[in-house]
Amino acid sequence: MAREFQRGHKAKISDLTAGRDLYVGVQVAGPGLSFDISCFGLDADERLSDDRYFIFFNQPKSPEESLQQLGAQSGDTESFRVTLDKIPSQIKRLSFTAALDGAGQMSQAQSGYIRIVAGGEEVARYSFDGSEFSTERAVMLGDFYFKDEWRFAAVGQGFDGGLEALLRNFGGEVLEEEEPAAAEPAQAPGFAPPGGASEQPGFAPPAGAPAPASAPPAASAPPQQPPAFGAPQPAATQQGPAPGTPAHATAPTIAAPDAYAQGQAPAQPAPPGPPGPPPQQPPPTQSFSPPQAPQAPQAPQPPQAQQNPFAPQAPQSPFGSQMPQMPQIPQGPAAGMGVTLDKYREAPTGQRWTLQNEQLARVDLGIDGQPVLARQGSMVLYQGKVDFSYKGAGFRGRVVGNATGQEMQLMRCTGGGQVFFAEEAATLHPIELQGDSICVSADHVLAFDEGLQYEVRRIEGHGIPGGALFTMVFQGTGTVVVTTQGPPVVLPVTPTTFADADAVVAWSAAAQVIVSSQVRLRRQAYPGHSGETVNLQFRGAPGNFIVVQPYEV
Amino acid sequence: MDQQLIAGYAPSQPAARMENHGPHMLKVVMQSGHDLFARVGSMIAYEGFVQYEPNPPAVRQRASQWLTGEGAPLMRCHGDGLLYLADYGANVVILNLNDESISVNGTNLLAFDAHLEWGVQRVKGMAKFAGQGLFNVAVTGTGWVALTTRGQPVVVDCGRGDDETSVDPDALVAWSTHLKMKGKRSFKASAMIGRGSGEAYQLGFSGQGFVVVQPSEDSADRLRARG
Repeated sequence: MAREFQRGHKAKISDLTAGRDLYVGVQVAGPGLSFDISCFGLDADERLSDDRYFIFFNQPKSPEESLQQLGAQSGDTESFRVTLDKIPSQIKRLSFTAALDGAGQMSQAQSGYIRIVAGGEEVARYSFDGSEFSTERAVMLGDFYFKDEWRFAAVGQGFDGGLEALLRNFGGEVLEEEEPAAAEPAQAPGFAPPGGASEQPGFAPPAGAPAPASAPPAASAPPQQPPAFGAPQPAATQQGPAPGTPAHATAPTIAAPDAYAQGQAPAQPAPPGPPGPPPQQPPPTQSFSPPQAPQAPQAPQPPQAQQNPFAPQAPQSPFGSQMPQMPQIPQGPAAGMGVTLDKYREAPTGQRWTLQNEQLARVDLGIDGQPVLARQGSMVLYQGKVDFSYKGAGFRGRVVGNATGQEMQLMRCTGGGQVFFAEEAATLHPIELQGDSICVSADHVLAFDEGLQYEVRRIEGHGIPGGALFTMVFQGTGTVVVTTQGPPVVLPVTPTTFADADAVVAWSAAAQVIVSSQVRLRRQAYPGHSGETVNLQFRGAPGNFIVVQPYEV
Repeated sequence: MDQQLIAGYAPSQPAARMENHGPHMLKVVMQSGHDLFARVGSMIAYEGFVQYEPNPPAVRQRASQWLTGEGAPLMRCHGDGLLYLADYGANVVILNLNDESISVNGTNLLAFDAHLEWGVQRVKGMAKFAGQGLFNVAVTGTGWVALTTRGQPVVVDCGRGDDETSVDPDALVAWSTHLKMKGKRSFKASAMIGRGSGEAYQLGFSGQGFVVVQPSEDSADRLRARG
């Protein structure tokens, strides 16, 4: 069962898993962004005293191979193998970092995680997303550190300066030839994939790993991972339009069909076009290594045919002269559905309420047999014997509802099994009440434990759309799942806290709500007005809060 | 103009036939000889020389069961270049089939390689529940398929539960083809007097395989609605 980490959480590795040979996967993505993911092996002073323990695309393993970079697999952008028992004693901390390569900032990253997998099973995961960052160009994701024993900490700390600043922070020296390497991976000298790594006893990549991990190719077989993963860009990654030599410019056109033929699964028909050069062609003089190019650890040095001058010219597309290059189909091995769907897998069971992803919540009714009340029609899937029945809003609720036609329609889910709730892809927030109480706007209640006491209140005021705002006050011990459209903001209640009645989602029950109207005598003097004349004002002791969504229903 | 702000959204170099550009956009590398079927109206941009042939005769025949027989809302795309597809901001999920087979709800199918085997299935037992019936496209072979989901989907293993897995038909996106499926009503007498739970019909799945479910019960076909 994977343990979800939040920023700052720490745990002993031995509490997470008995395994000492771990797989660390990092996934981070954003539109148009590319990341360099690296691992720093630091000493007791958190300094990079030994450059050989800076594991990155140019140095995929440490001398004794306790740290190895494995490339992209199983839905991870980058993955590492960490053998705790082999790490030398002077290394006290392993820091996993992601740095932006090229333009952009961390806030554009959509989502990402760092996870630990032991024996094919995920044991820990720290998820983050771009909203936690702003203009940072690098982020320290998580640390393994040695304090009596190895522990893991979710860090999530951003850095403004990118990979270089990270290196400086760790006291590493940015060598002159390393600096362009970090900034310009296309020109970095190629590295040989780790040679002797084909046998990995006791180390299992996560379940559903792509074929290369399980099917070691014969030494003479064509490599499983074609070099064309990110291959057709020698000209594109160069700055400026100058494409280099003519051989350079046509190279991608040749390379891709070739790689396509090599990397094809046997079931696929051979692509039309010129026959690629045989894989035994000598590697070109200058090869390049994209930062996240997946490498098959067990494959021999893949013949890099990108710039092979002997290959026949590929027929140029009719736009060849205007376009720098026509993209070709680079194709890796067919990974299969299991791998591609792996990131959407159901989260493991355990608690009564589990958030599957931001938009889906699962309740396990079997744990204490207590029924759950949910908005009608919000069930998307269930497993087990679950019974759905009508639940009225109660007499008082019906009176209120009938008066306005806004009755809250609930259903009761009883039985044993798991039920998945979702609504219109809204973001869900399970709020766990422990004896305290909260007011939630009735439109934003998705589901809650029946054990909670609740009542429907209405807030009346001139100018509120629909005449009144209905809120449900929950009290007791249990969970309420609240929906918001988009990520909400949680504001502390101060003497001057106002919110739009359409956008407010929830507030702590101790806060007092007042409907305030802005009256401006000169309003008529203007042809239009701001449309923001009626607000809710909140008052309360410090410690109260309100939740507002970025959407006015 | 300060292009720093939008620079982060430039397309990355293609590394596979189909890729996500952000969660809501699909980028397909087109090459002649590797045609693509895509939903009509899903193209948002293309680069290079790409041509579209809506509702080709071969498709019309194979998809004669789709909805009311007015033809499959598919177009054949061919040419060289980069093709960008989207469906009104829905999330795009890319599958790489490796001699596998998946059954996708017709409204959730965005694009697939033309060399894949495919056919329209009518979901048994569902026609009388949902107004228009539920139509499914079974895709088999080795190649790429792109689906759309409203919100981030979840993949549930059917084999794990002790009982069968029941899915709201509006939230169902795709399932592995060898699952056993049946329509199910959780219908009670009380529902007849206007006190239903709102969950009257489900599809029950059993067997070894998985079901993909979206966190929304909005199954409206936006691409079709536009015509």
